[in-house]
Amino acid sequence: MAKPFLIYVKHCPVCGDGLCRVRVCQDPRRGRLTGCILCDDCETVWTDPSLRQKFTKGKVAATPCCPDCGESLWEQTSHWADIPEVCLLGWYDSVQIVRTEQRDQIV
Amino acid sequence: MARRSSNDTEAIANVLRVLPAKWIIGLLVAVVLYFFLQPRLNQWFGWSLPSIAAMAGNEAPAKNPKLTNNKTGSAASKSPAATKSTAEPKSPSETKPSAVSKSSSTASSGGAASPKQADEDYKYRILKPVGRDRYESPAGLIYAPGSEEGHRLAHIAKHLEDQPERPGSHGVFEGDMASFLVAIDDAYKRARGHAKGTKSRVEDGMTVYEAPFDQTIGYLGGTEGARKRNPKLKKMRLVIRDRNLITAFPIQ
Ligand SMILES: [Zn+2]
Ligand SMILES: [Zn+2]
Repeated sequence: MAKPFLIYVKHCPVCGDGLCRVRVCQDPRRGRLTGCILCDDCETVWTDPSLRQKFTKGKVAATPCCPDCGESLWEQTSHWADIPEVCLLGWYDSVQIVRTEQRDQIV
Repeated sequence: MARRSSNDTEAIANVLRVLPAKWIIGLLVAVVLYFFLQPRLNQWFGWSLPSIAAMAGNEAPAKNPKLTNNKTGSAASKSPAATKSTAEPKSPSETKPSAVSKSSSTASSGGAASPKQADEDYKYRILKPVGRDRYESPAGLIYAPGSEEGHRLAHIAKHLEDQPERPGSHGVFEGDMASFLVAIDDAYKRARGHAKGTKSRVEDGMTVYEAPFDQTIGYLGGTEGARKRNPKLKKMRLVIRDRNLITAFPIQ
């Protein structure tokens, strides 16, 4: 289901059209939640919202991968972060939040 | 549609009377073969052979199911076209690179192509299957499973429509998926060959190409595009990783 909010850090400095969004990965083996920044258009991955450090090494070729476990960020174990998850990662001050649905649609 | 007159029928009867029996049998076999092969030949090779019914004057000649609903746009006009409704490829589990398994009914009935069939049409007219749900373009770009949408073809299809609520800019290609794929290949070939006006830069294993076009290929969408009244765009940007097309869209 579509999320009622679009959370992003900034426009992608690599491709220009993408949004650098917070992607979380729930490592099933360790059960812990880790976050990274992923461009939703060109799939560039950064380790945190400062966008200083890109992550290019992963376990899957030509696929954006989690900087923590190395698995594909398009797998079921990953998803776009919601507001509580962004808070949990300590990145709330780094993001912009856009409401994508009318208020009466938000559940 | 012209109906066969009684004179025609008599003429056919006269011809049949003078023909040897084996010729008539041969003729019948040829007609039956044509009946079964005509829709398939149209599908495989993109021909527009008329059905038996059409030749008998009972039905309009079958339209090529691929040549419908072509949107405007310079790139679109130069290329094979698929229906706009087919822009969204199926998820990896739904699509199979099996050209021969698709239904052949639409070509002979003259009806509109089903979304799934037309979806396969644009892949097979332009892209060549090179593995499980992987396709290669004539210029050598690979379209593989990946992206949030499940397949890179589904991802670039997002650039066939505006997303007016999306923050910032969103380049929109004006045309259908087939013409988009042709334009991407064109931009890729020219940029890789360092043609005049093109740019390329390599960033951490990813190559970003830019190539200008002579004519408008799309417009600027998203909130930024709306603010600027959706200016027309004549340049394309491509992001490629290991020959995999990650994304492509018109830019300013
Ligand atoms: Zn990007
Ligand atoms: Zn992970």
